[in-house]
Amino acid sequence: MSFPISPRSGRSEALSRREAVAIAAAGLALATWPEMSRAAETETMDDLVRRVTEGTVPAEGGVRLEIPALVENGNSVDVRIAVDSPMTEAAHVRWIHLIADKNPFPDMARIHLSPRAGRAEVAITLRLAQSQTVAAVVAHSDGRYAIARAPVVVTLSACIDGG
Amino acid sequence: MFNARITVPPQAKAGEPVEIKVLVRHPMDRGGQSDGKGGIVPRKILNRMTATYAGAEIFRIDMNTGVAANPFVSFCTRAVETGDIVFEWREDGGATYTRTARLTVA
Repeated sequence: MSFPISPRSGRSEALSRREAVAIAAAGLALATWPEMSRAAETETMDDLVRRVTEGTVPAEGGVRLEIPALVENGNSVDVRIAVDSPMTEAAHVRWIHLIADKNPFPDMARIHLSPRAGRAEVAITLRLAQSQTVAAVVAHSDGRYAIARAPVVVTLSACIDGG
Repeated sequence: MFNARITVPPQAKAGEPVEIKVLVRHPMDRGGQSDGKGGIVPRKILNRMTATYAGAEIFRIDMNTGVAANPFVSFCTRAVETGDIVFEWREDGGATYTRTARLTVA
């Protein structure tokens, strides 16, 4: 099984000198086109979802994403995800991928399930950097993808220590 | 630093799904902060948890920095037989932690 975390998440913190120079040069070039530089550094939710689903546009519906609409502390946010699936050998949920588009590392977790689960229902605590949209992308065993999105307002960011 | 509290129902009926709750004590340090000596604190999180029961992996979660410190995870599994559910966590740096919980099936 390939590691699910996207290349962007897997990047190392330390840049090589060559990369640093390249980025500095790109920054200089892009400074004259602010629109372009903004587009280069932020990926939309659709881009992030498309990478996870390998290009397929997931269908809406069939996934329930329970997350508070207003979160007072982004350091620990309770999330519950339930998927409509019989969880049989023929039709089950393979995995659920959680994305927060404005987190420093948007891919938060991937939960792998099997027909042995009996019920496609999981809960987890997440860390949210700021107010944003959280998405749960579900991969079904028959190759279908489904998605549920929820907007979340975060009053205390999880990234407050300048880290 | 590592501590896990695993909750399974006291008794389960064969074939019925049961909910298993896992609360782990771990700082899940996302790294990247200055260490005050010109360096950068490395990331140190639990990056994977697997649960094995009755001869097969029933649950696995790959975690990134977006998972909270002291993470809580809950999932379901169909009760098959009386036996141990073996949990294994993998930490950045290669350390692993293993805990078991016994599920009694009536």
